Amino acid sequence: MAEPIIQVSHLTKVYRVPERAPGLAASVQSLFKPQYRGVEAVTDISFSVQAGEMIGLIGPNGAGKTTTLKMLSGLLYPTSGEAVVAGFTPWARQPDYLRRISMVMGNRSAMNWDIPPLDSFRVISQIYRVPTNQYRQTVDELIATLDMGELLKKPVRNLSLGERMKCELVAGLLYQPDILFLDEPTLGLDVAMQRRLRDFLKAYNQKQAVTVILTSHYMADVAALCPRVMLIHHGQLIYDGALQALAVRLAPFKLVKLQFSARVVNFEDFIAQFPGVEQLPMENGLRTLRVPRADVALVTARLLDSLPVADLAVEDPPIEAVIDQIYEEGVL
Amino acid sequence: MNHRGGWELIKNTWQSWIQHRGFFFLLAFGWMLPLLVYLFIWMAAAGDGSIAGLTQESLAGYYLLLILTNQLTYATTNWTVGDNIRYGQISRWLLQPMSPIYHALSQEIAGKIVFMLFSVPITGLLALIIRPQLNLDGVQILRFMPALLLAWGLRFFWGYWLALLAFWSTRADSLLALQDSLIFLLGGHLAPIALLPKTMQVIARILPFRYMSAFPVEILTGQLSNQEALVGFAIQAGWTVAAFLLYRWVWVHGVRRYEAVGG
Repeated sequence: MAEPIIQVSHLTKVYRVPERAPGLAASVQSLFKPQYRGVEAVTDISFSVQAGEMIGLIGPNGAGKTTTLKMLSGLLYPTSGEAVVAGFTPWARQPDYLRRISMVMGNRSAMNWDIPPLDSFRVISQIYRVPTNQYRQTVDELIATLDMGELLKKPVRNLSLGERMKCELVAGLLYQPDILFLDEPTLGLDVAMQRRLRDFLKAYNQKQAVTVILTSHYMADVAALCPRVMLIHHGQLIYDGALQALAVRLAPFKLVKLQFSARVVNFEDFIAQFPGVEQLPMENGLRTLRVPRADVALVTARLLDSLPVADLAVEDPPIEAVIDQIYEEGVL
Repeated sequence: MNHRGGWELIKNTWQSWIQHRGFFFLLAFGWMLPLLVYLFIWMAAAGDGSIAGLTQESLAGYYLLLILTNQLTYATTNWTVGDNIRYGQISRWLLQPMSPIYHALSQEIAGKIVFMLFSVPITGLLALIIRPQLNLDGVQILRFMPALLLAWGLRFFWGYWLALLAFWSTRADSLLALQDSLIFLLGGHLAPIALLPKTMQVIARILPFRYMSAFPVEILTGQLSNQEALVGFAIQAGWTVAAFLLYRWVWVHGVRRYEAVGG
């Protein structure tokens, strides 16, 4: 295997947070004797990433996803641990490193809001020393792909959230970085817009062979884009692997959906033959069974043999339900 | 160093600031007012004679030039540095392969142009009304230029390192207000340094605040002997170097503490 482009070992970040009880008395007290508490945002995280990979960093709010990205992009100094990205230590913030990465934040703007986006793009291209020809070509291509001809003449503050996000992406990509950190790129966007951005990112990752790490709360983003996910919870990396394998591990069962062509009287007796199988509430005349993965073949064969089945489908449980379970329980 | 990016940034900042010119014109007017008030007070005090060697006309010249110098050296940007750190807005600058000080510098330069668009015509108009006496000679003008540049550098970097203390304490900008008050008191605003009590004159000549505003004007209006000017330049340069080193130290150590809040 080639040398990984991102190598993270034992990365830890502890924030020092001032703390005080609510109320005036406490605020006066904190004036003279402030109290601080160490909050571990990220604890001993290690992983490596190959060039060209697209990775989803998932986890509930406050899990440490953004902190991890901020350390990798050089914004934050870690409390301990090391990271080497493209041969650089990120928090040394060497210009040669910063030129190779891009961090696009869904809730932070890289644009000057008073002037039209094209002017901001120009400044960014100059800051990153992009040759004029290459700049024109890259921006034209991005503008065409993202379908944003109309919005280029308006000041950024007059753009909608979706339009602005397109601009943020162009601003983050116009100097052709090798590594892309995307923090909630689809935050607050409508479903259609989310899908378009997703399609764009997927195509871009394949065409430009960039390495992408993205955080998102929308499982659809992660499922569509990231063959590999890393799950962070309470600052710890608790899973690193394929999204589907995570689902299998967490939900060792499938859903069998059934519709009968005639009335079935002794269905409950039929189910009772299989101790692991459970019937879920009926929806629109559709019966759903929760079947352990190992028993799926046997159960479906018996169903088809002995009952008047009109339609049968075997499905994985929805990924949201699976993830929700971890967020709630915090264990794998 | 990244001058290409910096230059482009100046052009853009200028474009975005000129959109809010009304706001900046009002700011410039606000800064002008206290100086005008003290100009009229001292003119009244001087009456037909002179006070510490300054006549009505030379006081008018001093204060009108001080209005311009004050606006050219006033580092407005420093007031926003703390907020940018506090609300995590310098994150995007830290991500760029260019020192974030370029953003402050570009705002400084763009701002100066916008302020001058207002202040030069207004002071010109005032000069027509109150008829200042100015004996400008070539040597004075030649000395004025570096003194003005150093005054700006000193005032900017001094305010910048104070503002960067926001990395440690979230409300460091009160120190900027203190800096402004000291400039008002010891920087020739409340009164030309020559009119201050002797002890205060000594303090004013040692501390950096006079060198942020009044010093170039004293040179241009010929208030200083050659030796006084030379000593002044030495002290001004010393404080400027000190301010720059303080900025570097505070920046290097502060950015390690940056917590990039929000987002």
